[in-house]
Amino acid sequence: MYELWEAGEGVRLLLMGNEAMARGAMEAGVSVAAGYPGTPSSEIIENLAQAAWKKNIYVEWSVNEKVALEVAAAASYAGLRSMAVMKQVGMNVASDFLLHLAQYGTRGGMVLISCEDPGALSSTNEGESRPYAKMMEFPLLEPGDFQEAKDMTSWAFRLSEDLRTVVMVRSVTRLSHASGNVVLGELPQRRAEARFKYHGSIMDTMEGPIINLPGTVHVLRSSQQEKLKKASEIFDDSPFNRYEGPERADLLIITSSACTLYCKEAVRLLGLRDRVGILKLGTTWPLPRGLLERHLVRTERILVVEEVLPFMEDNMHALAAILAPSIGIKRFFGKLDGTIPMVNELNPDLLLKALCAILDIRYEAVSESYAGKAAEIASLGAPPRELTFCPGCPHRASFWSIHNALQLDNRDGFVCGDIGCYSLGAISCGFNTLKTLHSMGTGTGLASGFGKLRSFGMDQPVIAVCGDSTFYHAVMPALVNAIHNRSNITLIVLDNSGTAMTGFQPHPGLEKNALGQKAPAVDIPAVCKAMGAKVKVCDPFDLEDTLKSLLEMIEDEEGVKVLVLRQICALSPEKKGKKSFEMAVDEDACLGENCGCNRLCTRIFKCPGLIWDKQRGAARIDEVICTGCGVCASICPAGAIKKKEVA
Amino acid sequence: MPAFGPRELMVDVFGRDLCVACGACVDLCPYFRTYRGKTVQLFPCDIPAGKCYADCPKAEVDLDILAEKYWGRAYEGNALGHTLKIMTARAGKKAPNGAFQAGGTASSLIAFALQTGLIEAAVLTDQEGLIPVPRMITRAEDAVTCASSKYTAAPTLSEFNRALRHGYSRLGVVATPCQATALAQMRTNPLDSEYFRDPVGLVVGLFCTWALDTRGLISLLSRRLDPRRVRKMDIPPPPAEILVIETEEGRVEIPLGDIRHLIPKGCLICPDMTAEWGDVSVGILEGEPHWNTLIVRTQRGRDLVRKAEAEGWLVTGKIPDDNKDHLSFAAAGKKSRALRRALEEGLVNTPEGNGRSSLRINAEALQRIIRE
Repeated sequence: MYELWEAGEGVRLLLMGNEAMARGAMEAGVSVAAGYPGTPSSEIIENLAQAAWKKNIYVEWSVNEKVALEVAAAASYAGLRSMAVMKQVGMNVASDFLLHLAQYGTRGGMVLISCEDPGALSSTNEGESRPYAKMMEFPLLEPGDFQEAKDMTSWAFRLSEDLRTVVMVRSVTRLSHASGNVVLGELPQRRAEARFKYHGSIMDTMEGPIINLPGTVHVLRSSQQEKLKKASEIFDDSPFNRYEGPERADLLIITSSACTLYCKEAVRLLGLRDRVGILKLGTTWPLPRGLLERHLVRTERILVVEEVLPFMEDNMHALAAILAPSIGIKRFFGKLDGTIPMVNELNPDLLLKALCAILDIRYEAVSESYAGKAAEIASLGAPPRELTFCPGCPHRASFWSIHNALQLDNRDGFVCGDIGCYSLGAISCGFNTLKTLHSMGTGTGLASGFGKLRSFGMDQPVIAVCGDSTFYHAVMPALVNAIHNRSNITLIVLDNSGTAMTGFQPHPGLEKNALGQKAPAVDIPAVCKAMGAKVKVCDPFDLEDTLKSLLEMIEDEEGVKVLVLRQICALSPEKKGKKSFEMAVDEDACLGENCGCNRLCTRIFKCPGLIWDKQRGAARIDEVICTGCGVCASICPAGAIKKKEVA
Repeated sequence: MPAFGPRELMVDVFGRDLCVACGACVDLCPYFRTYRGKTVQLFPCDIPAGKCYADCPKAEVDLDILAEKYWGRAYEGNALGHTLKIMTARAGKKAPNGAFQAGGTASSLIAFALQTGLIEAAVLTDQEGLIPVPRMITRAEDAVTCASSKYTAAPTLSEFNRALRHGYSRLGVVATPCQATALAQMRTNPLDSEYFRDPVGLVVGLFCTWALDTRGLISLLSRRLDPRRVRKMDIPPPPAEILVIETEEGRVEIPLGDIRHLIPKGCLICPDMTAEWGDVSVGILEGEPHWNTLIVRTQRGRDLVRKAEAEGWLVTGKIPDDNKDHLSFAAAGKKSRALRRALEEGLVNTPEGNGRSSLRINAEALQRIIRE
């Protein structure tokens, strides 16, 4: 977004939460930013990458989140302001280094942004990473609106430099991907100088070598405790912690992040502004002890509102117990007593319900008869739509061949899946081929284990699938493991030439980097060959060749086989709109219901580009969305689907 | 008889492990396929009635309906089925020569039928290593390329289905008893299709006691030899109790006890040793390795044999009584063993409410067979 890095101080822009955080980092003079794509975090790095040339920022898509954090830490150690960006699952990948980073501390201001996904809208889990702040002992900030997303990100760099520790900023989908008005601040003009200083003593955290050693740990951890104590004091006066409500409240809501907005709406709708106060915390670890003491003493009942884990709630209970002599015994409501659901995103309706239950209020947002009628009409109007692969998606063709190979092989073989668009291989659009799905790289790790169970009588063929970006991110170590330990598996790399699911971010297999510069590509087949696997590359649109190769690999019981199925994503910017074939159904040849094929094309293959025309009793091509991949011509048993090469 | 479809086929045959991989359901549609000796369903299909079920020799086979159609009476359960004549036979001088298992009778009859135009094409079973491969031929001289016995289950009828799709009619088939049963059912037009016409010009049945699971045999033999170099297999008559395998390197003998577990369950409930639903049936002749036993069952078969003999493609002789008695004894034994086992497993004349039958047969014939 051009205005994002051009507009000056005082300008008001409608910004997405992620844009606001990118702007905040630019206003703080960030020099280095690194991340790995993942919804809902990807736009932060993308926006910084666009600004990189103008603003002298180095931005990269790193191979995974741990490396991203290390790249950003290096800049901090060299005295620059830096940032690492990831989604909640990436925090787990980065966490090994994060523990050491937090223990030693930072030099240039360093911010870690984690954009999280309550409700798991685009994740395989509802994990959250706020507990890392407590577990690994660094400060945690949670912006409550779009202005704060920018301002707190900017302030986090200063805080990091004041404390000399990494500062985590946590966002959620409804902040990262929603938009609101933001008044911009000033953009600095300086170009920072980088120098890694290591000539000082090992105990000199600003100019010595950065070494975490058993002998230094107790010193480093003591220093960490000091930093946290100082953070708590700073947070006591932070403008990002705000109270709205009466002097003495019947109920005090303590909340943070996007939940702040839900709480405000529920209180307003119920007309409770003179009875219920809202204490919105922007600094959620360490807790601002003094501030909380002042507020807790003014009420008897407290409702803690947050998404995913009862993180603040747990910490609040502990603090209230410590403060009991001065504030008295309080009654707490929240996730732990069931007032707030433990699972899924929150919304104003859930808050209304919680407030009505606590304060014994009758409130009907929508009359029952209206709700009934609405539900009735909704079910009539909207046709059910399954999740599916896009028209012309190479994954559909790949899974078609994988499924058929496993069926023909007839030994109950299965596929260990991974994270990407191809996770849909677990449902009908991928012919229910995936039988395990966890975290990135895990498909190959599990396969490596399954492939060693022959001596226990398991003769099922074992296949792992991964995407091209995932291959670099986390599959390589698992593949090495499988090869070295002689596991009998076939790894299929579904190479669609980009990090497709998150929006075509480049990865190490491509000849360009995050800044659009030419970059050396790391060749997957060559890497696998060098590791010692038997490697073959096929075009998944060539169903016959792919099936034959797969059957050969499944039957080959010696060691690790890698099949790279290479075909560019139908939606990728390079491909979009370009058809290889014009497709058409020969109406005379399509026998429809009389064929005996039982509508294989639209009942099983189910590319959205194919339509079953009930009136004519024949298949048809939806020319608007057909990408002309030509695969359906190969599956029609009557040869009724014709492809004509586009000149 | 009510018609069933692929869903019932999956339950009745695949679910009960009765598939003998004959190929009858393969290549009718995109769903059933054969690969390395196994028949598999690629994707579920929900049509209510299909040829896959109707033709399957392991699902709701009604021997009385077949006997009524082809023999004009109820199924009696004779050891050798319906016979017009039993004789000995071997290839005549005019027949193309080949590496025959015994007398070359089956190859000669097929070659002659092609030569005279009785059939337009023939579906036979060739072999790649130990994997049986169905093959369609249209020239008489090619008949011998598929000579010699295969002891593994062969999806021959998949090629028959493919030939039909490509417009062939008057097809000749060299068929095992299960395949001949499937063809017999198919010829009754069980789905009452208005477009139906009988595409079968000749069925040369083969005697068969069982076939072995292809993959099981490959895996067993791989420990002793290279399955790709197998040239011929034979099971000499009792009391040898061995499977003899000739490879490019020499001869390997495997005790039958070592391979019995590779016999598919579907073979163990098969009551037919002599391919009762063929026009003629061909098997070995005990004690005469270069001759066959030939059973003539239909008028069409009788005409073919007569002509072939007259024109020098076939030589026939009188079968010794001893040989005939031995054959009948063996065939009756298989019938009785198979039906007793099938009864035990609830697969014969299954009463309503207990699922569907594999086989239906009138009670009188059933009792007679079991008592023997």
